[in-house]
Amino acid sequence: MSESRLLLHARAAGRAFLLPVSELREVVPGSPVTPIPSGPPGIQGVVLHHGEFLPVLDWGVVVGDPDHAAPPAVLAVLRPRLGLPLEGLAGTVEAPEGGLNDPPAEDAWGPILAGLCRLGNQDLPVLDPDRLLALLHRLRKAR
Amino acid sequence: MDPSFDDVWAECEDLFVQARQRLAALKSPQPPHVVQASVNALFRTTHTLKGMAGMLGFPRFSQAAHRMEDIFDLMRQGRLRSTDSLIETLEAGIQALESGLTELRRGRPEPEDYLHAIRRQLGELEALARPSEGAVLDLTALLDLPPDMLKALSEYERTRVTAVLLAGIPIQGVSVRLDLATFDDRLRSISEAAGAQGELISTLPLEMHDDRDGLFFLLLVAAPALETDGLDVLPEENLEIMELADPDRVPASLKADPGPLVAPPAPGPAPVASHSPAALPLDAEVLRLPAQRVDALEARLMTVAQVRDSASLALRETQDPGLARPMAMMGEIEAGLLEVQKALLQMRMVKVESLFQRIEPMVRALSRDMGKPVRLTFQGGDLELERSLLGRLTEPFLHLVRNALDHGLESPEERSAQGKAETGSLKISASQRGRNLRFDLRDDGRGFDLARIEARGLAMGLLKDGQIHSVEDLHRLALEPGFSTKERASQISGRGVGMDVVRAEVEGMGGDIQISSEPRRGSLVRLSLPLSRAVIACLKVRCGQQTFGVPLNHVLRVQSSLAPVHGGGRIEVLGRDLPMESLQACLGLSEPSGGQQFFVVLRQQGAAAESGLDLALGVDEVAGRVELLLRSLPELAHAPGIMGGSLQEDGVLWVLDPEAVMGLAMDSLMKRVADV
Repeated sequence: MSESRLLLHARAAGRAFLLPVSELREVVPGSPVTPIPSGPPGIQGVVLHHGEFLPVLDWGVVVGDPDHAAPPAVLAVLRPRLGLPLEGLAGTVEAPEGGLNDPPAEDAWGPILAGLCRLGNQDLPVLDPDRLLALLHRLRKAR
Repeated sequence: MDPSFDDVWAECEDLFVQARQRLAALKSPQPPHVVQASVNALFRTTHTLKGMAGMLGFPRFSQAAHRMEDIFDLMRQGRLRSTDSLIETLEAGIQALESGLTELRRGRPEPEDYLHAIRRQLGELEALARPSEGAVLDLTALLDLPPDMLKALSEYERTRVTAVLLAGIPIQGVSVRLDLATFDDRLRSISEAAGAQGELISTLPLEMHDDRDGLFFLLLVAAPALETDGLDVLPEENLEIMELADPDRVPASLKADPGPLVAPPAPGPAPVASHSPAALPLDAEVLRLPAQRVDALEARLMTVAQVRDSASLALRETQDPGLARPMAMMGEIEAGLLEVQKALLQMRMVKVESLFQRIEPMVRALSRDMGKPVRLTFQGGDLELERSLLGRLTEPFLHLVRNALDHGLESPEERSAQGKAETGSLKISASQRGRNLRFDLRDDGRGFDLARIEARGLAMGLLKDGQIHSVEDLHRLALEPGFSTKERASQISGRGVGMDVVRAEVEGMGGDIQISSEPRRGSLVRLSLPLSRAVIACLKVRCGQQTFGVPLNHVLRVQSSLAPVHGGGRIEVLGRDLPMESLQACLGLSEPSGGQQFFVVLRQQGAAAESGLDLALGVDEVAGRVELLLRSLPELAHAPGIMGGSLQEDGVLWVLDPEAVMGLAMDSLMKRVADV
């Protein structure tokens, strides 16, 4: 199977989700996040990664659930150099044939999803990094 | 482009840097042996470039490098004098080759003749150096040596012997006996020591008809005298020094007309062996490393620093007075780590001066060709920028300079008629502004023709008729793709592919370009480029639980007051009443309820006392001075007022962007006034 069809099966902000492996730089153990004074909304702070500061996403602001800003167990580093704090990893799965379904309109994750992927008997959200970055830019502009 | 040749391209770039530095050094008076060593190095550089171009498959580049090599060969043989105009021609030649190489790397085809612009000058030089009627002056017979040894001298060594004697410099002989097992190392060492005292012309093996063991050598050194102690010769090596040739024995008729030879140094103090600060160590070994190796080393060093921080924390938590010594040792490790980090950073950095060195010859050549005398000044050459940026900046700068001379500066007649000095002015300055390195190019020419820009913008459909266009809009328009006010392309600039390319290149580096001008008073082009890493000196201050660094180059004064002052108040500093704002208020943190007693007085960098904005920043505590490795924040994490951070023992120390903080403070003060 090609890498572009491989999905990372992870959990963050209390919800299981999928992320195309092709969008990942690497997955590293979590480390304490240093907050930035007057830092941008949607970014909880930075960690040092390969000698550079890596911004770490604040799921609480992005998906509207402020209870999930705990120290990450694992950090998924996206290609555009953004760290996604994860609560855990389940492994990788092959993307099934067929397209994605639209998420329900009331889904708080809606603005950052590519769609829902049917795996077994459950619909898992598939994260779209481009939409996530666009949301972060919107949040910053709105500040 | 084949990536396997990346190293070759990179080495060519290094060779050009070295060539420019050596040519620049030749412009100031140097001892003859230093001049000779520089010319030799330039000869080798062009020879290497010729070979590399052949390897890369660029025969015309190779031919052009060969022609330059020939000129340096004539110089090193003493058949061309090192004059200002010669150096200027050579600089133009090196610049033409370098620009040509950049074009080749972009996939452009080879031009017919890279040295087209200086073809006439090169022809004159070659004609000047040609020996008249085949006669070549040779003074080697003046050497006090047996004929068979004289025969052993190469053609180059003969020309050097002749040249130095005509220049009035004696030739000394240094004979040594070296051990068979170590002679190569020892000979190299002694040769280097002799070369530091004069020009080493030749190293000849000597045949000694006695029963002593070892190998014998005779070194020919052009120098008024040699210091025995400085030659690094061991007692058993039987050092002997003798004068082999006295310039006074050169016939007076030859001295009166020495022909085309290297000019002797200007009269003045006795020449010294040390080089000017700008000169390269002549035999410095240069290591080329892939940048990834340095990246990996930096990342590893960071991990070590983190372990050290954890160990330091663990030691502190034990609170054992017996651990004072290990704690002090931790401090030494910290200092050592910072030194290594700085050294690693240094590997990536070059002085802005090297960018200026690329620009200067071009300005001079353009000034001459266009008949527009210009006074060129540079400022901020000691600042540093990343090596990777230097290569990308050169072309944009050259274009901006061409524009300034072609469009900006008027002819001497036009300037005179306007009451201006006939000589125009072009000032290029570099300064560090917050997280940016700023370059300003100012000329005192005619300024941008905004009426013409507007007309052109309308004709191109970039502006709408009937609307009012601000001065800023019109200046900005000059940076739009394909925009040019020149109806026809000039040879110098105005080809419609200039300013937009400059803008694209600068923005590609994460930077920004702004232009402004005043009619008949001149133009300013300002480039701001973000610094990703730098070592900076800061004042360490605390606010609440957080520590911040304030770059010292913006700190005017640190002051305390007996009574606490609240943000929005005023304090007296050196007889001036200044507005005070708390750092917490600037950064959106909660302000201390009891006010603050420590103040950092900030001033805009470069601002004069009477015109600049001074502001007192309230902090909870001033913790001293620190030098630290600054890492900038990526765009996604950019926070107003923060330039970047540095990893310290107790976590990340955030470094303030003073100019941005001053802006935030003014906003906060205005808000306070509005709220009242």
